Amino acid sequence: MRPRSALSLVFACLASWGILLAQKPFHDYVGETPTEVKVGEVPLPPDWDVPAEWTRGRLKYDAVGILHPDAHTGWMGWATDYPQGDRHFQEGLRRLTLINATSVEHVAELDGSDDIYNWPFLYAVEPGHWHLFEDEADQLRDYLDRGGFLMTDDFHGTNEWENFMKNLQKVIGSRPVEDLANSDPIFHVLYDLDKRTQIPGKQFLGSGRPYEFDGFEPKWRAIRDERGRIIVAICHNMDISDAIEHSNDPEYPEEWANMAYRIATNYVVYDLTH
Amino acid sequence: MFEFFFKYSRTVYNQGSFVFLNAWPVWMLWAGIALAGAGFAFLILRKGGAANPVRSVLVGLLQTALAALLLFMIWRPALSVATLKPQQNIVAVVIDDSSSMATKDEGELSRKDRGAKVLNDGLLQKLKDKFQVRVYKMSDHLSRIEGLEQLAAQSPVTHIGDSLKQIAADAAGLPIGAMVLLSDGADNTGGVDLETISAMRRQRIAVHTIGLGREQMQKDLEITNVELPQRTLPDSRLAALVTFHQHGYTGQKAKITIRDNNKVLAAQDVVLKGEGSEQIENVLFNAGKAGVKTIQTFIDLLPGEENGRNNILTRVVNVDKRVPRILYLEGEPRWEFKFVRRGVEDDQSIDLLTVLRTAPNKRYIQGNVSKATKEDLEKINGFPTTVEELFAFDAVMFGSVDAAYLTPQQLQNVKDFVDRRGGGLVFLGGKDSLADGGWQATPVHEAMPTQLPDRKGTFKWTPANVRLTPQGSESLITRLEDDVKKNGKRFSELPYIRNVQDVGEPKLGASVLAEAVPMNGGGGALPLLITMNYGRGRTAIFATSGSWRWQMLQDKADMSHEMFYQQFLRWTVSGTPQRVTGSTPKTLLSDIATAKLRAEVRDKTFMPANDAVVEAHILGEGVTETISMTPDSSEAGAFVVDWQAPKQGDYIVEVTAKRGTEELGRDTFTFRREDGTAENFHVEQNRELLEKLSAETKGNYYKPDDAQRLADDIVYSDGGISVRETKDLWDMPAIFLAFLAIRGVEWLLRRKWGTI
Repeated sequence: MRPRSALSLVFACLASWGILLAQKPFHDYVGETPTEVKVGEVPLPPDWDVPAEWTRGRLKYDAVGILHPDAHTGWMGWATDYPQGDRHFQEGLRRLTLINATSVEHVAELDGSDDIYNWPFLYAVEPGHWHLFEDEADQLRDYLDRGGFLMTDDFHGTNEWENFMKNLQKVIGSRPVEDLANSDPIFHVLYDLDKRTQIPGKQFLGSGRPYEFDGFEPKWRAIRDERGRIIVAICHNMDISDAIEHSNDPEYPEEWANMAYRIATNYVVYDLTH
Repeated sequence: MFEFFFKYSRTVYNQGSFVFLNAWPVWMLWAGIALAGAGFAFLILRKGGAANPVRSVLVGLLQTALAALLLFMIWRPALSVATLKPQQNIVAVVIDDSSSMATKDEGELSRKDRGAKVLNDGLLQKLKDKFQVRVYKMSDHLSRIEGLEQLAAQSPVTHIGDSLKQIAADAAGLPIGAMVLLSDGADNTGGVDLETISAMRRQRIAVHTIGLGREQMQKDLEITNVELPQRTLPDSRLAALVTFHQHGYTGQKAKITIRDNNKVLAAQDVVLKGEGSEQIENVLFNAGKAGVKTIQTFIDLLPGEENGRNNILTRVVNVDKRVPRILYLEGEPRWEFKFVRRGVEDDQSIDLLTVLRTAPNKRYIQGNVSKATKEDLEKINGFPTTVEELFAFDAVMFGSVDAAYLTPQQLQNVKDFVDRRGGGLVFLGGKDSLADGGWQATPVHEAMPTQLPDRKGTFKWTPANVRLTPQGSESLITRLEDDVKKNGKRFSELPYIRNVQDVGEPKLGASVLAEAVPMNGGGGALPLLITMNYGRGRTAIFATSGSWRWQMLQDKADMSHEMFYQQFLRWTVSGTPQRVTGSTPKTLLSDIATAKLRAEVRDKTFMPANDAVVEAHILGEGVTETISMTPDSSEAGAFVVDWQAPKQGDYIVEVTAKRGTEELGRDTFTFRREDGTAENFHVEQNRELLEKLSAETKGNYYKPDDAQRLADDIVYSDGGISVRETKDLWDMPAIFLAFLAIRGVEWLLRRKWGTI
């Protein structure tokens, strides 16, 4: 190889590496992580590699046991309902709105790289078990300060709430958590959602209970920035993620699946308009 | 010397026309010369001249030239020149009496004293010996004086043109044969207009000028102009285009300071460039809050500077209270939309109304509008259907919107919005934008700054870096840093944009401010940010939906994205006229009393309202006055009036326009009259003006040392009461010298050849 060609190749590699640092390519974690589906059960959509304006970032975090918070269990709570819930939701957005969404999600980590900033909408499932290290909390705070949006869902009862808040406070400090009023724009930006009900996960089909642990009442909560915009949307005592994941299950009540889509869609549109 | 050889002065030659006094026709002269040439040729050939052709030709030519010279004298060449009749003509001697004439740039004598000396050294007496002489002093008008001691050199202004007009007017009743102007040529009105020069030529009055003062200062810096918009929006970034020149300080540093009263708005160090050449520097500053700003531009006094009064220039800028409205129609919820809204939300001087299509049959409307307005917009698919509704906005921005979303009438209205209303129009890139949205097949395409490709698939997910063009580095839209180089570097270091749209070739007159440079060999650079003026308005394309990464991929304290969009949207609205727009060409009247007031009046559809009743209400310096403005025949919808500002100070003008009982609109602007400043500028002798004035009127320009010749030259003029004289030329020394030269050359040649 001539020296000039070799030099060009080195520059091309460096440039590519620069892009990779800024935005990581799509990665399918099925098979690598104890997910709810096995390899091949949820094949990649044919247009998985077609770029589009909007992609939901799924936050990959480290999980702890509630009773033994310092014991890292190895349980991959971040991947709950992954990837079926994500793929269904992306498809739902395409059908219900004019959002130009990709067919797949993007799993993003608070790993100190710039990747996470490419996904201004982050979705965290089972954050009742999350553990944010200090540097992760710093990066999440920075992400929110720059204009990012975090939606949390699928955690229930007092214990999970406490762990959720314990870690979230590393991010938001003393910012208050508020219960959202029915009149809040987030419930009207696309669908009028004055009448919301608790959305149970698929466990309802076995237990017959719409709640888990002592999470009897659904809580629609949020944290706002200094301008009053919601930057963290908290869906406590409900399982929107599960409802969307199983929206194609004939046994799962259509009414709740429908409501889950509407709520999640409103949250996305809210973020894109505020 | 000229006169020694040619018998008469240059003036006689310039003023006179050449004639032959001999009655024989001129063709006979040419025939005689030809015959002589032929005769010499015959004689030379007969004596064997063919043996040495070079010598024969030379001898033949010299002898023919000698014969031609003799024939020329026989035909009696002469000059026919008009001369003023002694004691029957008036010569107007006009002396500049403005304060610039007090400048002592010639030893201890001021320009005024130097002029007086020229006159007292004999010129005035010589003129009086031949003519009736009237002496005038000139400032903003002309007044007759009895003696030179009446000169004071204190008038704050010089209006050479007005003085010439007065002389021309006097010449209608008096035999004014010529005019002598002693001046430094410093005219505060910017020169002498063609109309005045024509009047002087019609009266056949030769203006002889005597230039006083140095033509070039030894050590001086002068601000010659500061360009600023007359109106702007609150907190806008303005660029003061400061033009200056200097003598004696090349390579040194100077500091330009922009102040609003005593508040320093900006300061910039510059290195002074070429001696005497114009230097232009851009100084950026923030216009601040609404109100009238008296913007002063200073350049610090340099060591040894001869005139420090020309280092400051004042301009008046009206920072409008109005909040322009921008309608942003977005076809899909996307991050660019979110971050555009966030980027301009702090900009209190822009009212952004957004209509976002969230679902095929749903829109989400945000902005500072009432619920009723939102409902009205919702009923009409989010975009105004009538001209009146659309023209209520100052700018319109389209995101990823298919052209088919609008009706043909709405598309036509959008084009008219730019062309007739003078609004701003912006297109952002997107999957349904521009060519992918079919905009190239609409009337709006004509207003766009590029020739859109006639195909789909122009929107590509190609990561690209942004590179400013030289125009972009200077533009206020893309000015993130005051320093041009730093600005270019900052843009090149911005996070890459995720996509870019091919917008085709920029049209003639369009400006490409930024280019997208695809990464990893994604092809050549594409125009990214393109602007163009169209009709009364302006249009722009920003061919990406990926600039939101400038916000998310940079530190939260970085304001690149916010600054860019705020400056971009301000540009779209800053020049958008209102239905009634008042203005004056000069917001600062330096030693001028006449304010030229102007109003452009349009109806609700922005058609010129020629039938409107337009009034200017003027308030200031003890004056409260209402005057009617009259239609300007040169432009539809324009109304003008001249008003005399009685004294220096600030004046507020409110223009109101009515059609019957309907008020079409009103507008307010200000101007200031400032006395005693104009003479501080252009203090060098404006020789160019004086020479031009003389040349145009058949006069001559003289330096003071040569001015005594004027008494002889001035006689030759066809103005006033004159007679035509003929002056023989046959006996001028030059002819005899030519005769001797020809014979001498022939003798020398023959000596060389050994034939004598």
